[in-house]
Amino acid sequence: MRKYLGLFKISFQQEFVYRLNFIMWRVRNVLQILVAYFLWTTLFIGGGKIFGYDKNQILTYIFGVLIVRALVLSSRAIDVAGDINSGDLTLSLLKPINFFKYWLTRDFSTKALNLFFAFFETLFLVLVLKVPFFFQTNFSFLLPFSFSLVLAILIFFFLVLLIDMVTFWAPEMQWAGQFIFLAIITEFLSGAIFPLDILPQALQKVIYFLPFPYLIFFPVQIYLGKLALVNTLGGIMVEGFWVITLSLIVNFIWKKGLLRYEAVGR
Amino acid sequence: MDRTIIVDHLVKNFEVKEKEPGITGSLKSFLSPKKKIVRALRNISFTIQPGELVGFIGPNGAGKTTTLKVLSGLLYPTAGFAQVVGFDPWEKKAEFLKQISLVMGQKNQLWWDLPALETFELLKAIYEIPQKEYEESLKELVELLDLKNLLTTQVRKLSLGQRMRLELVAALLHRPKILFLDEPTLGLDLIAQQRMRDFIYDYNRKTQATILLTSHNMNDLVDLARRVIVIDEGQLIFDGAFEELTNRFAKEKIIKLSFSQEADLKELEKIGRVKKISFPEVVLSVPRTTTSVAAAEILQNFPIADLTIEEIPIEEIVRKVFRRELKIKR
Repeated sequence: MRKYLGLFKISFQQEFVYRLNFIMWRVRNVLQILVAYFLWTTLFIGGGKIFGYDKNQILTYIFGVLIVRALVLSSRAIDVAGDINSGDLTLSLLKPINFFKYWLTRDFSTKALNLFFAFFETLFLVLVLKVPFFFQTNFSFLLPFSFSLVLAILIFFFLVLLIDMVTFWAPEMQWAGQFIFLAIITEFLSGAIFPLDILPQALQKVIYFLPFPYLIFFPVQIYLGKLALVNTLGGIMVEGFWVITLSLIVNFIWKKGLLRYEAVGR
Repeated sequence: MDRTIIVDHLVKNFEVKEKEPGITGSLKSFLSPKKKIVRALRNISFTIQPGELVGFIGPNGAGKTTTLKVLSGLLYPTAGFAQVVGFDPWEKKAEFLKQISLVMGQKNQLWWDLPALETFELLKAIYEIPQKEYEESLKELVELLDLKNLLTTQVRKLSLGQRMRLELVAALLHRPKILFLDEPTLGLDLIAQQRMRDFIYDYNRKTQATILLTSHNMNDLVDLARRVIVIDEGQLIFDGAFEELTNRFAKEKIIKLSFSQEADLKELEKIGRVKKISFPEVVLSVPRTTTSVAAAEILQNFPIADLTIEEIPIEEIVRKVFRRELKIKR
């Protein structure tokens, strides 16, 4: 355990080194929220309801997303693809440390930092824009919420590793794969941009079988107290299913990938 | 007998995609990739005993680094067998990894943006080194490599030589029994090279660690390795004491002459190849087997003040190996 604590600490320090980089990343997050904010306020200028949401509900959703995405969608494991490509993976392979735990620990350190900043950003925006932020105080929602968050973090971790490992077979795909996966599919299907229940029913049914909605939409819905206990438990079961399935797939592909790894760069 | 490293009929092939230049080439290789098999190691066998310091010699692409990578568990052998301190390297067991270290001249494990001390602390945790042992090792290594004031400086601000020495500390903190050094003096200036060599030599003597070292730097090999393994094109062509390289590969000997008066040097050409003339000194190379006959003939027919017979310098042999001038005789 101590080795992972040590790793967490040094990883956390490393995050601080590129201050400008980090600040820009946070600025991007804030801008995204602002875009969503202005988009929706414009749509609601006439008042009333759109897709069954009124203005306050939708804004509550969007600000809930800000916190959840800082926790779930921030990742250090995206660097694995670059490591495979450059041969730097060699260095972690030589260490008596579990590869997956190594990267999960590094993910946690970046998540901790992101959460810290997201907290103040949200506070700031909520105060400035006078958004009705929803504070969930009911423990029977908060408990499954935190549980679903942990599972969401694991799902995202394994998805990122899966995309990283494409690099074993197609080093030139590294950037494109990550972009398509992270910037397009995940953003769209996870509910990070809009609540998924505004989509047509048929489409929703399909999407709920995929791992993506469980990254953002599902935890936020629990937090906002919108799901009945049955649906919450059902969703958590699906999350659990994905965590197990993805971990098995990742493990399998990891072993195959290592056989192909050529430890390049001398 | 005790053996730390066993390599038996080791084969490693790589699959390489071939691509013609230009956009059409890219398109072609995308639609129907042409693959080529590169045979990096073809049937290599050797064993190494505990405490040995062995030099790996061979030109670029001979398979030296590939061998080290197989031995440290990074590459999966296509065929054959490798064992290090009783483990199959590929399994990457923690108990195995704690006993080895691989230092590559071009790969840095120090965290670039943080002082080296931070990386050392992390390594202490990762290798589960007891605090007392860690402090002792660190103190000793820092003193030996003269690094006292550099531990708290951001790694990116250091010179290459300073960084390489710190890399070495990082690689040795857990006191590995086996040390693989891949081009440890690459890019270092002469003084830094010498320092590195002295350290490696001392380290081997003091800790009885087994060291396998590859280098293009002649001095590294001459100074350090008592035993050398020469590989070329994935095949082992020599394994033995450094001095024996000469007996094995030098087909000629050198005769140095000092003339007492003018003589017809053309006549010398019949006896051997004239390598250098700066009268009255002449250097001649003659076939090994007929050296004494040649010497006698010269003494009889020429006005000679002094004659010495020498071996071809080891550096020249190694250089020839690098230039692939020596062909494999099996």
